[in-house]
Amino acid sequence: MADASAQITELTVDDHACLTFGEPEELLDLTAAFIRDGLASGLKVVWLSDAASQLAELGRRGVAVQPARGRGQLVTAGCQGRLLSGQEFHADAALGWLAGQVESARAAGFAGLRVAVDMGWALRPVTGIEELPRFEEGIAAALEGTAASVLCQYDRDRFDPVTLASVAGSHTRSVAAATYHADPVLRICRQYAPPGIRIAGEIDYQAAGPLALALAEAVRLGGDIVVNLAGLAFADVRCTAMIADAVRAMAARATVALQCRPPVAAGFARLGIDGLPGVRLVPGGQ
Amino acid sequence: MASDHGQQAAGHEPAVTSGPPPAAGLEQDFDAGSLYALRSAVAAHAAAAGLAPGRVYEAVAAVHELAANAVRHGAGHGRLRLWTDGQVLTCQVTDKGITPDGQGQHPPAQALPWPAEHAHGLWMVGQVTDQFTIDHGPAGTTATFTLNI
Repeated sequence: MADASAQITELTVDDHACLTFGEPEELLDLTAAFIRDGLASGLKVVWLSDAASQLAELGRRGVAVQPARGRGQLVTAGCQGRLLSGQEFHADAALGWLAGQVESARAAGFAGLRVAVDMGWALRPVTGIEELPRFEEGIAAALEGTAASVLCQYDRDRFDPVTLASVAGSHTRSVAAATYHADPVLRICRQYAPPGIRIAGEIDYQAAGPLALALAEAVRLGGDIVVNLAGLAFADVRCTAMIADAVRAMAARATVALQCRPPVAAGFARLGIDGLPGVRLVPGGQ
Repeated sequence: MASDHGQQAAGHEPAVTSGPPPAAGLEQDFDAGSLYALRSAVAAHAAAAGLAPGRVYEAVAAVHELAANAVRHGAGHGRLRLWTDGQVLTCQVTDKGITPDGQGQHPPAQALPWPAEHAHGLWMVGQVTDQFTIDHGPAGTTATFTLNI
């Protein structure tokens, strides 16, 4: 594993986890995995977020959104009227909402509850924001003895370190994407929903080390694999060949979707990847 | 990996100046830490010269492979010159190093077996460009390619 954080797929009942993310793609990927695994376990899943197109993003990542909504198992909603009342935040009211959700899921016969909360609302000018640490502390008590877990989602670039540190202690786990390389030019990380690997930015031979590690782990993933290069603007011949090598290994036992922009796809085509059985080239990216 | 000879030669006069001297265009030194900046500059100039987006990418990719060769197998640094003449974009990468075996670098005549080898980058350059030559001598290596606009 490339870092010490827990994996999103390792969360269990009554966890109060803190997910920190650096970009929307990472947030949506990890959230989709959290929701997918919750639905598969028969839990009710609630995602509070003020981001637009939540459902479409989940659908794109392989979550069967409509059937789950139809049987009341999946709810996506904004924070207004749940965590916020107008521009006011009251920790007790928010904890009351959470307790109501736990009870409602139990009464409906679900095996438990998963709640994901995008904490972006706390960056806006909201009265009572100083109660945020008390809210985070209170969640532990609200979850005790229940079959419920909460995933609080913090943008690590937008929240100040003091706030992040003040709430960190209230969480039972810290969750982040397994990241093999991250700098302003290149990011290599695990993708969770659908499973695979994601590389964004520009990659050349100087990142061959972390790329090799990431590919070695991706090859060991079970089932079909997505190699998400939609955000990859440049790949040199060395790295293109390394990825092609890994794709060949993956395709020997599973289906591989290779998502990339046309110029990067041309590089794979030159290496004979486009006609390989089990490999699907998917146009993607800007 | 640079040879001892290449290391000693570093920091002196530019190695090879064959071919026409570039008129206005791009002239940029590079090393391992500035390949990203080199790619950005080439992309901007190739687009401004009128190449289609896919061809801009190929110009960038070809310059990168030649520059990376200079960094990894030559002097460890080098210089790019880029210029346009009518409907032809020319890129020239020079470095003062020689390959460790002293043989210089030649464009491979045909496709190399997968997986990738050192010369695979040069093979790609030959695939995507309209003309590609490598001249080498005691003073270093000059790789030149053209793309028709």
